[in-house]
Amino acid sequence: MNYKKLLLLLAVCCCWFPAAAQAVSGPTEQLKPTLDTLIEILLDPALKGEKQKAARRTKIMGYVTQKFDFREMSQRVIGREWKDLPPEKQDRFQVLFTKLLENAYIGKIETYSGEEIQFIGERIKDNRAIVSTQIENNGQWLPVDYIMIKKAEQWMVYDINIEGMSLVRNYMEQFKSILRRDKFDGLVKLLEEKNSTFE
Amino acid sequence: MISKKVFLFFLVLAFMLGPVWVIQADEAEGTVALPRDDRNKDLDIFFDAEDISDPFEPMNRVFFQVNDKLYFWILKPVSTAYRTVVPKDFRQCFDNFFDNVAAPVRVVNNLLQGKFAGAGIDLSRFLINSTAGVLGFGDPALITFGLEPRPEDFGQTLGIWGLGEGPYLCLPLLGPLTVRDSAGFAGDALLHPGTYVFSNPVDRAAYYSADKVNMISLHPDLYEDMKRYSLDPYISMRQFYLDYRRNKLLDRPVRSNVMINEL
Repeated sequence: MNYKKLLLLLAVCCCWFPAAAQAVSGPTEQLKPTLDTLIEILLDPALKGEKQKAARRTKIMGYVTQKFDFREMSQRVIGREWKDLPPEKQDRFQVLFTKLLENAYIGKIETYSGEEIQFIGERIKDNRAIVSTQIENNGQWLPVDYIMIKKAEQWMVYDINIEGMSLVRNYMEQFKSILRRDKFDGLVKLLEEKNSTFE
Repeated sequence: MISKKVFLFFLVLAFMLGPVWVIQADEAEGTVALPRDDRNKDLDIFFDAEDISDPFEPMNRVFFQVNDKLYFWILKPVSTAYRTVVPKDFRQCFDNFFDNVAAPVRVVNNLLQGKFAGAGIDLSRFLINSTAGVLGFGDPALITFGLEPRPEDFGQTLGIWGLGEGPYLCLPLLGPLTVRDSAGFAGDALLHPGTYVFSNPVDRAAYYSADKVNMISLHPDLYEDMKRYSLDPYISMRQFYLDYRRNKLLDRPVRSNVMINEL
């Protein structure tokens, strides 16, 4: 092996190892850039205002879907019945539920105006993790926890707890009650109706 | 803004309450840190089903509707009118006042749960805010001394003592509760100075309503947002309430949750 080849190998290693290290980085390190990008979009003056709403939402959802596992959320809110549903119904539900979360919660965070966010810790248990943050809100700290699951070295968010109140769990309980009464098709209809109220 | 005399008074108080303050500082780290492992043994923080007991659901749903009507027909119009007349700073002061009056509830329940540091902090808060805070309208205990309230109530005390949560209830005027929390509500009423100051139940109800209207005026959108984002508001409310109370029992960091207290 001559000198040049060795140098090339070294160069390749240098480029490759940081990438490999990043791929197995912890949940906090993986969540941070996503939130930073979200904040950037929310504070971007070019995307502010009602007129820019569609463009802003598309951009936000583009980033959010990389780190938020809406499939996992859909599966969890439906519960046991999920695996009995044909794939096209699963997909239809995922689209509607993602839209509901977008309407409800992106709408909420759009009022963000530079409040401080602190990362205060993480806990990992097997392939699941909880990343705790707090956000400044009218002089108080509002605890927001991201619950994540590791899929192919990627930590994906599948629930958000605000002040310890689980968002996905809340919908799961509602859907459980609706599924019992109106079955899956009734739930889909209700979701469609709900989403149309945000337009 | 603060006169010299008041400032001196602060200094003296700070000196007197120094030890309490140190305890508080130690504990404050605990509240920011993640929930301790031993507290979470029984509860899967990673989201697995927890039991919900709601055998009275049909009755609860009726009362939920009653409260909903009460909200839109009475509470909301009154608090909206009130909000337009009274500036926010004043309303915040009234909120502080109501909170300060209820201090005995927090102090005694901290004691009953063996949380002596917490009892000391809430007692200190009461003393500071009743004097330097002008009858509790201000909150210098928090702003100047960084003493955060340690809200404990009798429902939590009963939980610490090992009493189970019991079925979920949604009661007219009182809103979401569990059987344990309704016993807690009654217990706290006995500790509340208002019970003794107002001999007439109508006056007591007026005081209670004023507290609620003031609270809603400070957070006007919460209830309607919850309804807007949910497909079954009754269940959503029930879940928020149970999550909130279960977290409080475990002393996880939660702010006083206003939506729960509103209805």
